[in-house]
Amino acid sequence: MNARNFIFSAVVIPTALFLGGCETPAAYTDSKGTGTVVSLDQIDIQDWNRAADELVASLLASGVLERAPEQPAILAISRIVNNTMQQIDTDSLTKKIRVELNRSGKTITTTTLGLGGKAEDPLAKEAAEMQAMLGGQKKTTTLPYYTLSGKLIEDRARAGRTRQVTYTFQMSLTTVKDGLAVWEDEKQITKIGTKPSVGF
Amino acid sequence: MKLPLIILLAATGITAGCSTSNINTVSRSESQATPEMVGDKRIITDASLGKMIRIVGVNEATVSGNLKKIQVTLENAKNDPRTISYKFEWVDKDGMATGGLGEMWKPLQFGGRETKTVSAVATSPQAVDFTLKLAEAR
Repeated sequence: MNARNFIFSAVVIPTALFLGGCETPAAYTDSKGTGTVVSLDQIDIQDWNRAADELVASLLASGVLERAPEQPAILAISRIVNNTMQQIDTDSLTKKIRVELNRSGKTITTTTLGLGGKAEDPLAKEAAEMQAMLGGQKKTTTLPYYTLSGKLIEDRARAGRTRQVTYTFQMSLTTVKDGLAVWEDEKQITKIGTKPSVGF
Repeated sequence: MKLPLIILLAATGITAGCSTSNINTVSRSESQATPEMVGDKRIITDASLGKMIRIVGVNEATVSGNLKKIQVTLENAKNDPRTISYKFEWVDKDGMATGGLGEMWKPLQFGGRETKTVSAVATSPQAVDFTLKLAEAR
């Protein structure tokens, strides 16, 4: 074995194998586990889950949903203002909250009454109108007792190479009949670091 | 003569670099709260975590008429700051897992000797029992 071959087999091959071994092949991970990616420039799946979970817990613990005259109370989703720098589908937060409130048996969400007259489920709205027309009746809309609105805020700070981002999730539950916010809360999630990481 | 000085400076530097941040507290001498405490069963599979994070107590309440709320008080038994992960799980009267959004791992940071509470509300009225899982952070 000459010197060139020796260097090749002793240095180049192990280095290539080592670097190859450092790469992580794609794999499935539990969305609710500790092995998810923690980003510094976006709201991660665990952030949405945590914010929704804590807001639902706060709303249920407040006891305001028990005050509705009819149980379960009818809920409509109002505007969720996105004041972050990200393009966000606010259903990432509101759908989770709706699902959990529905599971609790405290609210049911209307899907035929939406912001600006837009129904989330237009077919259900049309079908109801058709049914009323064929039956010779005037269409009746079930009005919500509560509306849920909110805002997402992003706050960034930097110290040298260390970056910090705080996402604030604000929510209000308003009684339709008087327009009063009977429950309000906000949850903050702060992440700090120099680069994204896997797991927490 | 210079050697002790160097050792002293080095020791000072190390001590400063490893300074602990223990938490001091003050509260009412006789608590006015009357929590409904829950007897608990503990399964320790990570002995070092068991020594590091002490379970002080478990109490429960009912919210929104028929939903269980559990609060567990945890204490960092060490002087160093710690981060752990925790997760609540719920089961119904038949022992079946009720699932739900809240059953996810969350990070929890402690200062030295700090006591913190973690809580969860069962979003299913069928939930009667809970399990709190604790794990060292990665």
